[in-house]
Amino acid sequence: MRLYDPTASGPERHLNRAPALAALQGKTIGILENGKFNAAEMLQEVAALFESRHGCVVRPLYSKTNASAPADAEVLKKAVGEVDFLITGLGD
Amino acid sequence: MSFDPRRIHEVPDDLLAAIDYCYAQGWTDGLPVVPPVVERVEATLAFEGRPPEAVIATHPATGLQLTVHAAAVNAVMAGCLPEYFPVLVAAFEAMDKPEFNFHGSTASTGGSAPFLIVSGEVVDDIGMNADVNLFGPGNRANATIGRATRLILRNVFQMLPGVSDKSTQGNPGKYSLCIAERARGNPWPLLCEAQGYPPGVSSVTAFAAGGFCNVENHGGNTPEQILISVADAMANYGCLTLGQSVVILSPEHMQIIGNAGWSREDAQTFLFASAKRSVEGMKMVGKYRDREYERQHGASAHASVEAGFIHRGLSPDDILITMGGGDAGGHSCFLPSWSRARGSLMQHKPIGVCIDCD
Repeated sequence: MRLYDPTASGPERHLNRAPALAALQGKTIGILENGKFNAAEMLQEVAALFESRHGCVVRPLYSKTNASAPADAEVLKKAVGEVDFLITGLGD
Repeated sequence: MSFDPRRIHEVPDDLLAAIDYCYAQGWTDGLPVVPPVVERVEATLAFEGRPPEAVIATHPATGLQLTVHAAAVNAVMAGCLPEYFPVLVAAFEAMDKPEFNFHGSTASTGGSAPFLIVSGEVVDDIGMNADVNLFGPGNRANATIGRATRLILRNVFQMLPGVSDKSTQGNPGKYSLCIAERARGNPWPLLCEAQGYPPGVSSVTAFAAGGFCNVENHGGNTPEQILISVADAMANYGCLTLGQSVVILSPEHMQIIGNAGWSREDAQTFLFASAKRSVEGMKMVGKYRDREYERQHGASAHASVEAGFIHRGLSPDDILITMGGGDAGGHSCFLPSWSRARGSLMQHKPIGVCIDCD
């Protein structure tokens, strides 16, 4: 009996991590919240730790319009120009 | 027709052993599958005009692609007859639209099931059930088209329970959730007509659905009595969000509404206006959010939106209503969108034809 394989292989994708920052001291943080319950509150708490422990500066929140889809390109483009690193996470 | 031979598995000529082989490969939804023998797959492919390597849908997060061939393999495994295949293809073309967001809807803790509503002549052509026991069990086309959808999500898109599919409690509709719209006795234009397709063209609507909620009313005799029962289900605290809704009216309920001269639009408007909870109530259960209230009550608010209340959805158009089920029984149903806001919007496509194709 000859069976076809029901799975699929996708195109190869190469994803690379951004280079790590050499130091956190004095860096500017962005926060991307996903719009769900408690996301902003939780991420603000995380940012506060970076402020108190590493002297980071926190930019105003960036928000996603759809929690389960990538952030709008415009939002990411804006963040790239304004921050040294971005904190993101899920609320709910 | 030739394919990469690595895609063929040679197994002993023993049906039960082949079923077990499919289990061992991790190709099933938990139930036995029909082993996807080459001959049956190729018979299925004959019902699609495009070449087997043509891509129907692409997973936005992983880049995995559903080809016509892979869809046919999974259709066979689900138990589909070859003539069901165009419905399955159209369903994935609908789900491939970005607004459906099929990555989010299949990965989320929310546990949505892709709910397919088939409308038009194809229903009778392939023997779908729009009548008694609408949601099953009992009809091969309904059951296997819905099941093929799940098998494709699993096998092609790798939405694996516990790994990439993080549904908290799952959903029985994740095995299969496919119905036909009932044309017999339906006083309203069929969905395929309302969606603007030419006469004779059938359609499938895909909706990322939460759980099924039965709406029983054997005492109401007016459209208002029936639809307030439906609206109450739509506005229960566990379901009320800005997401879309599907309402399938039973023939008994539809008769009451239709005989009173109500159109689909009348019913949609009534439901939207009625399916609501007060801000105080939403605060009481901890679900109130300013940003949702502002979105619903802002400059583009629908005329039916009432100050001090959260309605279900953003407008009457967010409520798909049609008829299905057996003649007897005051049992309609409501299915909420998986999405709590606008993260997934229902989509439709014509079946077996190409209209405005890229």
